[in-house]
Parts: sequence; structure tokens; C-alpha cells
Amino acid sequence: MPIRNPLRRQPSTTARHRILPALATAALTALALSACSAPTNNPRGPEFFDWSDVQVAADGQTVKLWMWGGDDQGNAYVDDVLAPAAAAQGVTLERVPIADTKDALNRVFTELQAGRNTDGAVDLVWINGDNFRTGKQADAWFCDWTGLLPNMNFVSDSDPLLTEDFGTPVEGCEAPWHKAQFSFVYNSATVPNPPTTVEGILDWAEANPGRFTYPAAPDFTGSAFLREVLYSVNGGDESVPSMYSDEAFDELSPALFDRLETLAPSLWREGSTYPATSEQLTKLFADGEIDMMMTYGPATLTALVENGTLPETTRVLTVEDGTLGNASFFGIPSNSGNIAGAMIVANEALSVEQQVAKADPAVWGQFTVLDLDALSATDRALFDDLPQSPVVPSFDVLSRNANPELSAEWVPALDDGWRTRIAAR
Amino acid sequence: MTAVLNRPRRRGLRATLLVLPAVIPVAIVVIGGIGTTVVQSLGLMPLVGTPALSVDAFASTEDLLGSALLSLGIAVISTAIAAVVGLFTAVLIISGNWGGRIVGALSAAAVTVPHLVGAASVGLLLSDAGVLARILGIPPESWPALVAGPTWFAVIAEYAWKESAFIALIVVGTLATRITSFDETAAVLGARRSARLRFVLLPLAAPSLLVASTIAFAYTLGSYEVAWLLGKTYPEPLSVMALRLFNSASLTARPEAAAVAVITLLLTAAVVVLAMLGLRRMRAWK
Repeated sequence: MPIRNPLRRQPSTTARHRILPALATAALTALALSACSAPTNNPRGPEFFDWSDVQVAADGQTVKLWMWGGDDQGNAYVDDVLAPAAAAQGVTLERVPIADTKDALNRVFTELQAGRNTDGAVDLVWINGDNFRTGKQADAWFCDWTGLLPNMNFVSDSDPLLTEDFGTPVEGCEAPWHKAQFSFVYNSATVPNPPTTVEGILDWAEANPGRFTYPAAPDFTGSAFLREVLYSVNGGDESVPSMYSDEAFDELSPALFDRLETLAPSLWREGSTYPATSEQLTKLFADGEIDMMMTYGPATLTALVENGTLPETTRVLTVEDGTLGNASFFGIPSNSGNIAGAMIVANEALSVEQQVAKADPAVWGQFTVLDLDALSATDRALFDDLPQSPVVPSFDVLSRNANPELSAEWVPALDDGWRTRIAAR
Repeated sequence: MTAVLNRPRRRGLRATLLVLPAVIPVAIVVIGGIGTTVVQSLGLMPLVGTPALSVDAFASTEDLLGSALLSLGIAVISTAIAAVVGLFTAVLIISGNWGGRIVGALSAAAVTVPHLVGAASVGLLLSDAGVLARILGIPPESWPALVAGPTWFAVIAEYAWKESAFIALIVVGTLATRITSFDETAAVLGARRSARLRFVLLPLAAPSLLVASTIAFAYTLGSYEVAWLLGKTYPEPLSVMALRLFNSASLTARPEAAAVAVITLLLTAAVVVLAMLGLRRMRAWK
């Protein structure tokens, strides 16, 4: 017996009547919401006369520090070493782990766009480079505050790494935290005779197809690798003007992209794809899929070798042409409600005790920003007595011939060029 | 007479009032979010500078067409696989034997796994030096490029797996209440297995299958983490592109990110409208 097919058309009109009013409501709501969201952030100036003002205002404040949460040692240092020290001064430090520093910046921007100008969710950000510059352009930072920090006395005011952040003048809008040095890393078991220059590394990659790759820009590490190669193919960092200009880009970048294009077929997966992040690059190295990798945070290597993630034969390659160096900073968003507390934390992080603790490879292994010559003999001895890492050379070895970072405008230009020339290859 | 006439209207009013507390916040968030995105994409809400109406963000975003086609391709293929697998899973669960119960429990468990965790697991399983390659003893260089490869295999597999469990549970929910009586009636009237499948089970399942597939499709088109973790560097799906631009260090990239989001939204809306039109053609939806 046949059954009627229930899939047959059945006319209905009820839904149609409701569409127009719904659309009208949507349009009105959107208009109303957008009307009140013009950018209204006015940069806030200094609010404190001296340090005791700050201390009084900070008492009892809770500071939310937004920082990249992917580094277990860094997280442990903040939770177990820095937070108790802040608590001793009446400031509660809460770490907010984020996947990317830009998440914090975006949160601040969105709050400023929405008119939340004095009680933002972000009090302190671990930041540097293009993120700092972007925030400065948008007047998103609280400025002129680092001069009040007593511990800034131990920081050199002529160190270019600390007065400029990727070519952007710091101007008291962020307080230094530690230094970092871009490093190439190799497995000494599989690379017995490592190359000694950046060009040598690229040649080595071509002689050993499939054993080398780098993270895709705009990953921080991948992006830094582009600048390393840009220096190398143009005859060193002196040949590349730090300030960005279209002319300089047009003149200098073709050599970089030509070199990377020639290199691509010799990379992991013939360069048809690239690891999206430096963590994925580290995983390829840990799995033995590649023999050489790179990092802008050599501090993490010691622990990764110790816990067995990376092979014991992991070594840092010191290249003759030198590598990029930079410093990490603490920035305070202009809409933070706990500016005084954030200043207490930034000052505490600059103390000799904190910098020594953080420089210990067993704690975090981050290089200090303090000017060792300005310290007392006893304080300096604390740094000299730190245990050496079997994997990572000391900062003076690593930073020999260090290259300055380019201005932040170079970064998106090189990243975009890489996408259209190399990734789209 | 008036009381009889008024009653349905009053009931409708009460229903509207009851549903308002739930609808208003959702409407503010959804309409406000969409409105802000559209306004940003048109250059009316810059981070710095003066607002000016323009469609530059749509015109200046490169690779938009390629990304849109890639996004649609991934969403269509993974939703189609998920719909077929989900329907068969639902039939298996409805069958009521012990195998069906195990499958039901597995599907329910799969739905609770967040996509991010699913993507990480699929990555660990299928990558060059992943669990599967190690179990089978295949060296990384001979293992096919399933993760981050040209076929987007791992991305599609993750979506198909997760969404098939979701579709199966939704379909089971609608079938479970009605299928037995209809099926028995058809059987008593002499319908064979194949006829019952064609004329009873499929029509009953079709509306919920369509709705669940549409939800799965919209999710797949809009979500970024799976494609970002398991996909190729280039070209990138719309969602990944939108997030990369939104996070870009240059302040001018935000309108472009909003433009990509608006295009994603239009594509999703078009598919939802098509699905709703299809739904109205189904008698079993009544």
C-alpha cells in the first residue's frame, strides 16, 4: 500500500510577516550601539607626585597581569616568586594567561572603543615591539610613570635596548623586565659540524633537505627569522636602515624573498606549509623531524632539555654575524583602575632579588635588564654566582655582535610580503 | 464570543512576554555584535583617526575569494560527511540493541569534547610523528601530510567526527518519540524494510537532520581554532584570516578583519535562509 510522500510542499506565510519588523529592530539597535562608540580615550598623565603617593594608592589593590600563558616556567616564576613579593607590599598580583599578547591589547582597544576608560580588565601587560607601538599609536598606554620607580636607578638610561622598543621610543610608557636574544638551536648528535653564519644555516638547510623550517609569519619567532635573513642577505644589520620607508623596503626585501624562495623546496614538507607557531616548530625539533630550530626565548631551553622534551644533545648555535636582541617590558593600559598597584609590581620586578631569581635557569633563566656595573659588589656577585646552563650560553656570549631590532613598521611589511611571495608560492 | 476570539491572542501575548527575558539579552549581544562589525567594516569605527564611510576594507583585503571558496569547501564536505554518518549513527542508536547503546554513549561523549581539545587530539593522532604513525611504525617522511597538508584532511576529519555526533543526537531526539508507532503501523500495513526507511524514517528524520546540519555548517564556517591548528599556512579559511587581521599589529587591519567577518556572516546567512526554505517544503516539519 503506497504511503503519501510527506516531503511535498506545504505553503506557509507566517514567517514572512515577522521579517520586516525584525530587520527594522536590528538596524535601529545597530545604529544606537554604534552611535555611542566613537574613540574617546584621552591619554592619562601622571597622577602621583612621588613614590610614597604610589605606595599609599596601591595598598589593597589587585593587579591583573595579562601575559602569554604558554611558558610553564614563566607562569611559575610569576605565581611563586613575584606574586608573594608583591603581596608583601600590599598588592595582590593575579596572572591572566593569554594565548597571544595581542589578546590583551585587543581587550584594551575594545574597552576604550566602548568607553570603559577607568576600570579596564587589564592592569599590566608583558609586552614589547609592534604591540607596544600599536598601543602607543592608539594612546592606549599610561605614560611617564617609570621615572617614579626607585629600582629604575639600576637600569642604564643609555642602553638602546631599553630606551627604544623596536624603534619606538619608550618614553616612560613601559618598564623593562628582561632581555632576550634570538637564538638558533641545533641537535649536536645529528649536526656534528654546525654552520657559523646565518647564510651558512640556509646553505646547510639546502644540503640537508627536509631538516629545517621556520614558523610562518606573523608568528613572533618566524617574523624575527625574516629580519635575521634580511640582515644576512643584505650584508649585515648596518645595511638596513632601522626606520621603515617604502624605498628601503623595495630595495632590500627582494633579496630576502628571493633567498627564501630558493630555500623553500629544501624545507620541511618542501615548504608547502610552515609550522603556525614557535611551539609547533619546537615540537618538530623534539620529534626529530628537523635538526635545527630557532627561538627568541632561549630561557626555556634548559628546562625543556631537563624534562626530556628536547634531546640532551640540544645546543644553542652562536652565529658570527650576531642575532637580534630585544627587551621585554611591562605596560600599563591607560584605562587600568589599579595603576598604582601595577607600578608597585613593575618596580618589584626590577629589584635585584627578583632579577637574580628570574635569571636562574632553574627558575626561568631570563637575562637581566639591570646595569651590572651600577650595582654594588655584593649584588653583582649574586648574578656572577648563578649556575650556568649546560644548554644556553651566558648573555654576554649570546649577545656578542648583537643586532638591533628594526623599527616596528618593518614587521607587518615583511610579514605581508612573506605571505604573498613565499606562503602563496 | 469575544472571549473565544481573544483567547489565542492573549495566549500569544503571554508567550511573547515569557520569552522576552531570554530574547532581549541575546538580541542585544547578537545584533549589537553584528552591528559593530558592520560599522567597523565600513570604516565608521576606527581605532585612530576620523570615521569615514568607505568600502576600502572589502576591496583591499587580498585573497578574499580564494579564502571564501576554501571555507565553503571545508564546511560543505565536512557537513555532508557528518550528516551521512550522523544519520546512520542515529538509525543505529534507535535500533535499540546493545551496539546502538554503545554508539549512543560514544556520541554523547564526543559532543562534550570541546573542538579545541578535539583538534589537538586529531593533531596528535594524525601528524607526521603522531600516535598513529608511531603505532604503525611509519617514519615521518613517508607519512601522508594529513595535518597541514594540501587536502585539509585533518580539519575535515575533526569537524566531520565532532559534528556527526551532534547531528546523530539531535536526530535521535526527534526520532525516538515518534518512530516506533509510525514504523509499526507501516509494517502492519505491509511496508518492507526499504519502503519504511524511505517513507517513514527518512521523512521523519529529514527536518531535524537539516536543522542540525545547518547548525553544524554555520559552526564550521565560523570557527577558527580547528583550521588554525590543523590547517595549512596558505591559503587560509575566512575565520583564520579574520583573526589574523584582527590581531595584526597595524591599526588599519581591523576594518579588514571586520569585512572578512561580514562576508562570513553573509555566507552563513545565505545558507541558513536556504535551509529554512527547504525546511518549509517538508511536510513532517508541521
